[in-house]
Amino acid sequence: MHRGQGTVETEIDRSWLSRRDFLKYSMGGLAVIVVGSRLGWLAKSHAYAAVQTHTIELQIGDAIKQMVTHNSIHNAECYFWVYKCVQPAVTPPVEVPGPTIFATQGDTVNIKVTNLLDEPHSFFIPGVVDSGPIPPVQNAPDNVWSKSFIIPGTVSGALLYYDNLNEPVNRIMGLHGAFVVMPDFTAAPPGGVGNKWTPYHNPTSNVQSLFNAFGDPDVWPGLAWGEGGDNPAPHPPTPPFRTYIWLDHQASPNLFAEVGNFPAGEDYPAAQFVDLFLNSRDLTNGISFKGAQYFTVNGQSGHFSHNNPHITPMLKVGEPCVVHILNAGLWMHSMHLHANHFYVTSINGAVQTNPLWIDVFNIHPMDRVDYVIPYMRPPDVPNARGIGRPDTVLQSPGNALIPGSVPHPIWPPSEELDFSIPSKIGVVIPGVTGLTALNAAGQPIDLGVQLSPLCYPMHDHSEPSQTAQGGNYNLGLIAGMNITGDRNLPGGVTEFPNDPDHVPPNTIQACAESEESRS
Amino acid sequence: MSVNNPIFGTIPRQSAVGMENEWVKMFDPPKADPPTPDVLVPTNPVPEVMAAAGMQTAPPIAHTLERQLMHGMTQRTWDNATDLVFFVFRDPTNPTASGGVYPAPTTRIPRGAIFHGHTQGSGPPPHTIHWHGIEPTPINDGVGHCSMEIGDYTYQWQPNFIGTYFYHCHRNTVQHFNFGLYGLLPIMPPDAYFATQKNPAIPIGACRDGKFRTAANLGIIRGPTGGEVPIDPGAGSGFEGAIIANPYPGFIGGLLTDPDPLREFATNPHAMTVPYDAEAIWVLGDRDSAWSALADDARATFPAFGPHPGIDDDFARKPGRDGFFAFNQFNPDYWFITGVPVPAHRGGTGRLPNQAVIPAELNSGISGTQVPIDARIGQTILIRCLNGAYDVIEVTFPVDVTIIAWDGRSLGVPPFGFNHPYFVPAGTPIHMSVARRFDCLIRSDSEVHGVATVKFLSARHGGRLGTAPVAVTAEIPVNIGPAATGTYSVSGSAFSSRTGEALPGVSIVLNSNAGSQTAVTDASGNYSFSGLVNGRYTVIPNLAGFRFSPRQREVTMAGANQSGQFFRGRAM
Repeated sequence: MHRGQGTVETEIDRSWLSRRDFLKYSMGGLAVIVVGSRLGWLAKSHAYAAVQTHTIELQIGDAIKQMVTHNSIHNAECYFWVYKCVQPAVTPPVEVPGPTIFATQGDTVNIKVTNLLDEPHSFFIPGVVDSGPIPPVQNAPDNVWSKSFIIPGTVSGALLYYDNLNEPVNRIMGLHGAFVVMPDFTAAPPGGVGNKWTPYHNPTSNVQSLFNAFGDPDVWPGLAWGEGGDNPAPHPPTPPFRTYIWLDHQASPNLFAEVGNFPAGEDYPAAQFVDLFLNSRDLTNGISFKGAQYFTVNGQSGHFSHNNPHITPMLKVGEPCVVHILNAGLWMHSMHLHANHFYVTSINGAVQTNPLWIDVFNIHPMDRVDYVIPYMRPPDVPNARGIGRPDTVLQSPGNALIPGSVPHPIWPPSEELDFSIPSKIGVVIPGVTGLTALNAAGQPIDLGVQLSPLCYPMHDHSEPSQTAQGGNYNLGLIAGMNITGDRNLPGGVTEFPNDPDHVPPNTIQACAESEESRS
Repeated sequence: MSVNNPIFGTIPRQSAVGMENEWVKMFDPPKADPPTPDVLVPTNPVPEVMAAAGMQTAPPIAHTLERQLMHGMTQRTWDNATDLVFFVFRDPTNPTASGGVYPAPTTRIPRGAIFHGHTQGSGPPPHTIHWHGIEPTPINDGVGHCSMEIGDYTYQWQPNFIGTYFYHCHRNTVQHFNFGLYGLLPIMPPDAYFATQKNPAIPIGACRDGKFRTAANLGIIRGPTGGEVPIDPGAGSGFEGAIIANPYPGFIGGLLTDPDPLREFATNPHAMTVPYDAEAIWVLGDRDSAWSALADDARATFPAFGPHPGIDDDFARKPGRDGFFAFNQFNPDYWFITGVPVPAHRGGTGRLPNQAVIPAELNSGISGTQVPIDARIGQTILIRCLNGAYDVIEVTFPVDVTIIAWDGRSLGVPPFGFNHPYFVPAGTPIHMSVARRFDCLIRSDSEVHGVATVKFLSARHGGRLGTAPVAVTAEIPVNIGPAATGTYSVSGSAFSSRTGEALPGVSIVLNSNAGSQTAVTDASGNYSFSGLVNGRYTVIPNLAGFRFSPRQREVTMAGANQSGQFFRGRAM
């Protein structure tokens, strides 16, 4: 995430907000439902504005969604089938995917699903609950299914809830969402004294050892995964159990419209759907192209997922997190994270006995894969021994080409954090120019972006999946990890500058010098 | 329900108001030429070693790699059906790479060195270099929307983990990656290249003991879990079976934090490394000739921000034709292994020639790195395999292999090794998607004359074998022949004549009618030459500041190893 300093007022008063908080309030979040009372930590999380309940009521209907490239001169809409949450009230009430549901093993869920579409649909969580066909709206009032079920103690991690009828058509049309089952964190971690929390009720010895190493000063100093921590005022505390969802999906406007226009009560042929979705080839991008054209994480693409703190972790060095990846679509993604190698700790519900430490992994359709990110200092930032430890960093002699540059340690990367690219108007950075544009009211906007906090992408390396209306990898399936500070600096927990009023000292100096040179 | 009148109405696109700057930068990143912030003095010895060997000109900036992008290149396909357009890096300092090559020159850097890469972009809109798997600060990470595109910039980082990485342009990756702007980036042991600077008799890329090494923890290698447990070598689990005795000689364990016995480096540069006798690089690539034909319109895929960002951005630069949607649906029809064409059409099987060696000039000075494997019984063979193809691949070896690393992280190395190397039996497919890479070792006690098969599977069909169609099958010859017959060894040690302590780091030259070779005594003062035929040899020790007794030894090889060839050294 970069801090930007708009020169115009927006509908939100940003003057008191840090960049992160602005994003939290302004960007669309995930609708999150928390089942039961044992996940209180979620309420403390930046990432979720969670609503707590035991009772969930969904409606199955349809909607038109404006995709990432939709604007006044370019139509980019797509028809979907959706699970709308009517109880509890969540924000946003209608989205693809449906609301993310967090629950604890042993909790009771009371669920009611009403089908407003004109063919049967279902609500299905493998191994947990199966509605079977819920009759179509023509059968009202019999188009309702209700169930009370207990989450088994044999399941932990993230699952997909979805409509498993006419497979995979109904799921691909948008009827899916994430259902995350946590161990009972109000009890003691399994495995006895000395073990720390993992997201699993049945961690393998290697995965347990990995989580035990988080917060270990000899391996990864900072917080354990299940541990929260205070931050310098005015920053809120870092929550424990830092958990994120990356739910992958692909959308085809032309094919989805064809399904929507199919005669009422008839199922669109599934084999034909899959063939068109995967094999349509039309280099002119005409309406005959029925392949996937949008690639989403949690329903968003590009800027709206990459810069969204509900999707992209924005944490400090020493604050490890877990990302549950679910692929609801039909394409394989090769999801590559920058800045830190991650451990793959669980694949399709199997906690790994030999978890690889890697930077990219294959996510097949319907795969459930967990990435665990250590949130270590990016290890190839030069340091004393160069063996991947949190060693003393090296000392820069300063760069004569950077105004005001003096000898200094290179972490935190203070000169880089001061850079803005494009430069802010009036700020001199050699070799970097500024850009301006207009807002809706015709007032000028400064397009300068500061390189703080530190921004890194997670993106799909199978980039052919992102060449359609997503345009490029950076308008397609993308999230990331941002480093907003460092818990392990000698001076204590440090937040990198990201408030809108921060003006880098070096650039102030540069401005002054440049004014002098002009006079 | 109705597409025109949906029950739940319209879900609006999210707003970019207040974040127009980040919104614009996301899809239309700025080009800039900033000085390197938080700069250090570079120490990477590779350009200087290459120049000393006559493989490149003197580096224009000391200890700094030069890469220019991009350069267009066409190459006739193996079946003479068409010309494929490649986008390639140029290295203006290297005559062999000054016109660009596919894939890009293999770039090696010793762990711990301060790397500077001076990069200049030109041609269709800006570029970056992302050093995939290397994890520096964002401006050095080469992602346009997280920093900038170039322009002219010097990237800076220090590799901290030995292993296999790659570098590629991170802009418009559908073209700039797939069209060839990528190359392998192995991180070598800390003393590689420095050793050659210190002692020119050490082969380029070898360590100070004269051996090529890579990172591994061979203390525990496990085989597949028995019974019905399915194994997936691409995922690593399912290998909790019997511990396999380490078949790879010369493994050094210890800890990465152990002190250097020669006090040349901050820590022991050989801790957790294994020597290898032969190396192969498999960079798997695929191309769609229909995409290649669109290369003349390289700007078609670049959206531009509008006068009112978030409201009227231009996402269809050529609406009358392809817009920026030109690259819909990848359908590869040509495949490559490290630039060697796979001679097969879609659905077919093509076999590579038995021998192909990567020129030292394109391999950071290292001689003898192979594509197909042509080795000897008893040799340790290292294979670095990168999936640079958009297809998913399945690699199946005709021999047992040991996976020692994925993505530049060797398995089982403390304190981060919550995993272990594993033994993959011959015939077991290893599955992986684009950008993944593994390092594996092979050592066979019997002859092998077979092929490794590489199946390319369509990613958009889920990429699973059995459900995704096999686009093409490549066969890479693997030949492990008999050891050279009638060869023997000379070995011995060097120690202090006063204290009796071992003298590591002594350069030992072996001369014969066939030529000269050099070894260096190890931490215990030992040295060895192997593979010698019968004949007369002269052995000469050398260490700056020392005089040795005897000054040299004459050895006659006559059907037996000659051990105990020791030297006493006295400081002058």
